[in-house]
Amino acid sequence: MINLKINNKEIQVEAGISILKAANTLGISIPTMCYQQDNYSNHPSCMICLVKNNKTSELIPSCAVKVQEGMEIVTNDEEVINARKDALELLLSDHVGDCEAPCRLACPAYMDIPEMNRLIAKGKFTESLIKVKEEIALPLILGYICSAPCENVCRRKQIDEPVSICLLKRFVASEDIAQKSTFFPDKLADSGKKIAIIGTGPAGLSAAFYSLESGHSVTLFDKNEKAGGTLRYAQLNKELPEEILDVEINIIKQYGAEFQFNIEITKEIFENELRKNYDAIIIASGESGVSNPESFVLDFHYQKKTGLQVERRTYATSEPGVFACGNVIRTQKMAIRSVAQGKVAALSANMYLRNEKIKHEPRMFNSKFGILKQEEFVEYLKETFSGKRLEPKKGNIYEFSHEEAINEAKRCMHCDCRAKDDCKLRDYAHDYNADRRKYWPEERKLIKKYNQHESVIYEPEKCIKCGLCIEITKANNEKLGLTHIGRGFDVEINIPFNETIKDALTKTADKCVKACPTGALVFKLEIEDKELE
Amino acid sequence: MSEEILNIVDEIVKQKGTTVNQAIPILQAIQETFNYLPEEALKRVCETTEISASRIYGISTFYTQFRHKPVGKHIIKVCVGTACHVKGSMQVYDAIRRNLNLNDHEDTDPEGLYTVQKVACLGCCTIAPVVQIDDITYGHLTPEKVDDTLVDFQDSRNNKSISIVSEITKFEKSQGEIRIGLGSCCVASGSQAVKEELESVLHENKINATVKQVGCVGICNQVPLLEIQKPETETTYYTKIQQKEVKDIVLSHFQPLSPIQRLKTKLNYFVENLVYDGIPKIINKYPAEKHDTPISEFLEGQINIATENRGVLKPTDIEEYKSLYGLESLRKCLNQLSSDQIIEEIKKSGLRGRGGAGFYVGKKWQLAKDAISDEKYVICNGDEGDPGAFMDRMLLESYPYRIIEGMIIAGYAIGAKKGIFYIRAEYQLAVKRVNEAIQICQEKGLLGENIMNSGFSFDLSIFEGAGAFICGEETALIASVEGKRGMPSIRPPYPVQQGLWNKPTLVNNTETFSTIPWIIRNGSKAFSSIGSDQSKGTKVFALAGKVRRGGLIEIPMGITIRKIVEEIGGGIARGKEFKAVQIGGPSGGCIPASMADTPIDFESLTEIGAMMGSGGLVVLDETDCMVDIARYFLSFTQDQSCGKCTFCRIGTRRMLEILNKICKGQGKEEDLVQLEKLAYNIKKGSICGLAKTAPNPVLSTLKYFRNEYEEHINGKCSTGKCKELIQYNITEDCIGCTKCAQQCPSGAIEFKPYEVHKIDVEKCIKCDICRQVCPVEAVLTIQNVRSENG
Repeated sequence: MINLKINNKEIQVEAGISILKAANTLGISIPTMCYQQDNYSNHPSCMICLVKNNKTSELIPSCAVKVQEGMEIVTNDEEVINARKDALELLLSDHVGDCEAPCRLACPAYMDIPEMNRLIAKGKFTESLIKVKEEIALPLILGYICSAPCENVCRRKQIDEPVSICLLKRFVASEDIAQKSTFFPDKLADSGKKIAIIGTGPAGLSAAFYSLESGHSVTLFDKNEKAGGTLRYAQLNKELPEEILDVEINIIKQYGAEFQFNIEITKEIFENELRKNYDAIIIASGESGVSNPESFVLDFHYQKKTGLQVERRTYATSEPGVFACGNVIRTQKMAIRSVAQGKVAALSANMYLRNEKIKHEPRMFNSKFGILKQEEFVEYLKETFSGKRLEPKKGNIYEFSHEEAINEAKRCMHCDCRAKDDCKLRDYAHDYNADRRKYWPEERKLIKKYNQHESVIYEPEKCIKCGLCIEITKANNEKLGLTHIGRGFDVEINIPFNETIKDALTKTADKCVKACPTGALVFKLEIEDKELE
Repeated sequence: MSEEILNIVDEIVKQKGTTVNQAIPILQAIQETFNYLPEEALKRVCETTEISASRIYGISTFYTQFRHKPVGKHIIKVCVGTACHVKGSMQVYDAIRRNLNLNDHEDTDPEGLYTVQKVACLGCCTIAPVVQIDDITYGHLTPEKVDDTLVDFQDSRNNKSISIVSEITKFEKSQGEIRIGLGSCCVASGSQAVKEELESVLHENKINATVKQVGCVGICNQVPLLEIQKPETETTYYTKIQQKEVKDIVLSHFQPLSPIQRLKTKLNYFVENLVYDGIPKIINKYPAEKHDTPISEFLEGQINIATENRGVLKPTDIEEYKSLYGLESLRKCLNQLSSDQIIEEIKKSGLRGRGGAGFYVGKKWQLAKDAISDEKYVICNGDEGDPGAFMDRMLLESYPYRIIEGMIIAGYAIGAKKGIFYIRAEYQLAVKRVNEAIQICQEKGLLGENIMNSGFSFDLSIFEGAGAFICGEETALIASVEGKRGMPSIRPPYPVQQGLWNKPTLVNNTETFSTIPWIIRNGSKAFSSIGSDQSKGTKVFALAGKVRRGGLIEIPMGITIRKIVEEIGGGIARGKEFKAVQIGGPSGGCIPASMADTPIDFESLTEIGAMMGSGGLVVLDETDCMVDIARYFLSFTQDQSCGKCTFCRIGTRRMLEILNKICKGQGKEEDLVQLEKLAYNIKKGSICGLAKTAPNPVLSTLKYFRNEYEEHINGKCSTGKCKELIQYNITEDCIGCTKCAQQCPSGAIEFKPYEVHKIDVEKCIKCDICRQVCPVEAVLTIQNVRSENG
């Protein structure tokens, strides 16, 4: 038995085990990427598992170094954390790939566009709508009026024309409405709390939708006789047919929202009625609400230039239980932005009502490589439907037919990473707050995609050279298998004799994909190859 | 063709065997035959051996020796080692590429005649810059000599000279002995031609003098070197001699034996020379007894232990080795000493490993001895990849028996029966000599079963490295012998516990083994009385760079850098100012001239941010840019990284990118901080010695020459070494000789006899030829106008 200390705790473990395992027995977790338990020999390479031996002040990879008598291991001091972070930042500087697609990053509502497209491509329209509604409460309306910053950054635009994202979103929304049973997300159990929402524009409607989903009851107030705010009354939105607006407002109503019209909220009403009768208030009254000197909004440090002051990430005002979103906090042209804010305000109000600390969950870390290069077009076109952007046969005001929608969705190049929800590199980069730009080189490597395998796709430029797949192919006697090619910075994990990935992974594809700590080796999308011709 | 390839491969496999550890030797044999590795051949190997496709592809792309594409008929290797780098090897490289009309991504000319390659170090640092074309080595090359050199090479291919073997020395009493060094540097400087001429002169004139080929003399800066020894007269050295001078020298010392021959010689000689006054017109003649000659100054202060009998021994003559105490130590060990006694003696001597890290040798042997196993190995690490170092090469070429003796003693002491010489593939002469020596030892019963009737059995073989600096690291070296990619593994377990084939393995450096016989013979006290407190004995250094007399030196530990540079090396060449020494190669650092009184020992060097390393010592003068030097070493290590650990694989590359930026004048103050931070983590977060020391050249220059980094950040390189920051300019001193205009490869200088020439900055490619050919030093580099404004 070996005696050692880990983070000042004395521990006795059997000889021959790694520091990592010893730490795990104490419940101390240490990050690992290149390490695979059981059956495979391990060669430390990623250095994310570094710990310090205080006896020697050396940093050592805990996955490979065995416990030794008298070691004093530290797993979490500043030096260790900095070294791990630096290792991550170096790996990220050589990791050419996007976690999320540019379209999703450009979307103010952070809608998972590639996933929507994939579901449409598979003919799963309802599932696609469900995906959309995770972020956008009013997809049909926005399908008419969204300025679609997503399409502006769509990589397909570099090659021919962007995917018709906005129309596809409209397509799934109107398909849903055409169904006998429109989709309503399951609500959480009734919280017994009441939320007042002032204003029924895009921000208010969105806040209502997600507040209802969180299990609260919702009442919306509007000074006009109908709901919609700027959607109905601004010149801006002429292309939005009123009946479309009514349809989607009706969905919110059906979902459980109450509306009270023709009520101008004054300071008095705000204080004496809303504050008293409701547990939380979301102000989404738009910019027009402040022309009246009696307006309650003026009590909220409102300034014409900067709008109503809120905490920038949670949309909480200085008053507890009062939140604000939409044009009242800053004038903007994009309805999608108001919709996005409405959701955040609703989530914050929910946290408030549940006595949780109101905090904004930062978005997951995102690796990005910037502009696609000309040489890489061919790689990105490997999994897409070739051909130009489809227009609905009957012209833009009409919807896509099913076939048209499926074909257009197949034009999506799936710029997001298939491993984005299962990537150790991304998770640790997030946890360690790594800066992907720190070592980003002037000249990046060119992206390649190997897609000859029936179920697996290999993107070497995402590989972190941990070598686990090589170990696996070797241990399972693949005839060809994978190998390190070259050395040093230019080392690549690839297939001997320039054969294809199909011949390399005849029986170990599943194992390799599961072991890959990042998105270099991933399963293909379920869209079948033959459909892509 | 295809059938033929398969047959050849099958034949090679039959010879080498089918086990995985034969992978590298099989690949070497295939390349030897085809000049590259045809894919068909590799696939055939996979079919017929235990070597998998993954392994063969992995190793054949790891080692730089292997090529997957056919190459030109002749291979031009441009040495870019440290000594060559500081003497302008990149300009030579560019000039060769221009001569061959190569595009950016090509390295073979359209006719397929030449392939040009950069190589890490050919180990001929004293005659830098060096280029090797096939088996011919050219030294002191400059860009403007490139064209002539290629013509010369073609000539040599067209009419191969036939060597004449001296036949006279076999009978009658010898009139004396003429020694000529035939180490790699000597051969590269033309000593082979001198030797052939010498034999022909002796033959023609019927002079009965013995011509003895000795190993490296160490005075590599003065080669080719002849030493003439005659009974009852003083020994005379002739340095830097040329083929045409041989006759004069020989005839001034020796008279033909028969009177008729004497007359004949005199007449012929008279006709050839018109005047004959008995004194050869040789300038570089130095009697051995005189003290103020470059030879005596160079040799003074040196102590020869690893290089004992330097310039005397014929490398592969076992009888001569025996006559000069050779094998005495081995006999003593086998007959009188127990392994514990031997290890005790080595411990008491204080000997530390000469490979760089300086681990105590006795302790290592003890650990190897204490490891319990039915099988153990001894490995001589001769994978000297350090650019700017050639100690191992010279020792292996010159003293193969001494190293063998050291290895047998080690085997006896630790209980190993097998030993392996791991020698760099580039060291062909060393491989040849060691091979010969092993064979002779086997024939004489010095290797094999029951050595000297002691009951102890030990045998040796050679493993040729395939071109990877990292294989100098012992765990990577072992991986390589096992037929794997040379990737280091984490220690512990140390090789002495679990090494080659998981058996206890003692890996020592070449120099370490070659000091063992001396220590056993003269006793540990004699050894430990030399040197400093913690660093005993002597150390062999390859002294090169801007020093007047470069060469291979063996000095007692503890003497100062100043003594080496100023006394042994004779100070800085060409009247320039001493700026720094780079010691320890890519793992070491730059020590400024102001710290030249630092003693050479393990602790002192480490303390000031350098490292003993394997013994490369490159002297730098005021014209050397320290940022460029740091960049040079880092580009070497990053190129040699095995690619396993994140910090080394990506970190060294990012450091290099920052340095490249700085050398272009695009650096920022923050970059220096980032360099330091990254260096810290690379040192701490990597597992092998290469990576842990890779940032040293950068850190030491940042420490001692930070002002130069700052100067570059401000767009200035005052030494003019960083191309992007300078322009070439011709001053009014120009005499209009037109040499620069004639040589300019880009037509940037207009041909104007007797007028002051001008350089067209737009056309100038900064190849430096004009500056080198100018007889009046009228070509200067000036700071770039753009950066001065910026």
